[in-house]
Amino acid sequence: MSYVEIPLPRLGVALGLVAVAAALSRRSGLGLAGDLTLGAARCAAQLLAIGYVLRLLFAEERWYWVALALSVMLLVAAFTSARRVEHGPGTRVLFPRALAAIATGAAVALVPVFTLVVVPRPWFEARYLVPVGGMMLASAMNVVAQVFERIFASAHAEAAVIEQLLALGASPQQALAPQVRGAVRAALIPTINGLLTVGLVALPGMMTGQIVGGTEPEQAVRYQIVIMYQLVAVAAVSGTLAATFARRLLFTAGAQLRVDGG
Amino acid sequence: MAARIEARGVRVERGGRRLLDGADLRVEAGEIAAIEGASGSGKTTLLKAIATLLAVDGGQVLLEGVDAAEIAPTVFRRRVAYVPQQPPMLEGSVADNLATGPRLRGAELGGAAAGALLSRVGLPSSFGARVARELSGGERHRVALARALANDPVALLLDEPTAALDPVAARQILDLVGALAGEGLSVVVVTHVEEHAARLGGTRWICRAGRVEAREGAS
Repeated sequence: MSYVEIPLPRLGVALGLVAVAAALSRRSGLGLAGDLTLGAARCAAQLLAIGYVLRLLFAEERWYWVALALSVMLLVAAFTSARRVEHGPGTRVLFPRALAAIATGAAVALVPVFTLVVVPRPWFEARYLVPVGGMMLASAMNVVAQVFERIFASAHAEAAVIEQLLALGASPQQALAPQVRGAVRAALIPTINGLLTVGLVALPGMMTGQIVGGTEPEQAVRYQIVIMYQLVAVAAVSGTLAATFARRLLFTAGAQLRVDGG
Repeated sequence: MAARIEARGVRVERGGRRLLDGADLRVEAGEIAAIEGASGSGKTTLLKAIATLLAVDGGQVLLEGVDAAEIAPTVFRRRVAYVPQQPPMLEGSVADNLATGPRLRGAELGGAAAGALLSRVGLPSSFGARVARELSGGERHRVALARALANDPVALLLDEPTAALDPVAARQILDLVGALAGEGLSVVVVTHVEEHAARLGGTRWICRAGRVEAREGAS
């Protein structure tokens, strides 16, 4: 495999692109120059750091290091999706549920693919497991955050209707069904749009990366197809689980609506 | 003999405040109990606690002598219908709204049954085609009553059913409540209008500081 290397000083040239955005922000009075600078700095620092971590992981090739890396990514993803959910019961209550929803979605997407489709040797090969695992965890994180946000907000806004349905003999599942459906649909739509437009609107990052890295386009495309299908499974499983957890938090054991979510 | 609906020492606390402080109420079959009281006295809380829509911190609610905690909430709420002060209309037509309760338990409400429910609350059967969310306040109250009756309950809990209604519409609702009690339903009505409580002609109670007391001079 051959590719054009990027020497560190040339990264500085790319940084000029952020300077353009910052200058435009200042000129238009958007007040985003600070955020852009911080974002650019964090982006570089985090990615350079993960680059070194990946190098160590690839060099060591021990299953426990791979497991540790995926665990840290999972914890960060769960914490991020459980944070700042308006009208939700708080991060401490949501965190374990986000963790379970993300971990299950990622496991459903990863285990069959790495045992039946890609099958690396050894099975825990970091070069495959860590980047693909990270993509699944990030996708699950966004889905779970979106489902939590939508369900708690809509339950708060539509509390009177939900309570009316309960009063008419609805179970919590029946009373919250429209909100659950809406949240899971909204979480799945970007993934479905991705399936419909992939290759037409944009070439996905992983495929682009593989092609730049020297992989045959035909193989890069096959990897991308697998990734897209995995993302669908992640969105469906993590989204549905997050919705189920949210619903359980929204009702007491006596099937009464808790408008503060817990 | 067990009352149709009974609240025994019901206590509700929220955020360190005691909203109900050992409220008792007994309502027999075919009886109307009118509960009056100032706003914040706990009337609505009591009604929602009896409807099991609010978790209680103490005491019991009994339906024909059976503790509500021992009855599945979906079953209890079909038998004891609650209509809030501003009943929200669900999406769709009036007929869709009426069919909600039966649909939730897997049954269907036929056109004839829907028409009968509408006529019971003084509305023509053609009303079923109207868009529920476009109704006036008085019409909403009637439809909400009909929707609750579609579950064939044995008790009705009505929170300020005459609030925001003009005097004529209010009288019609009160007469309707009287007629329903005449059919054997137990009705608990919360109101802050003394005249409306008197017009109902049932037992009269007053809610004060989270407790329910018999109103002086009440039957």
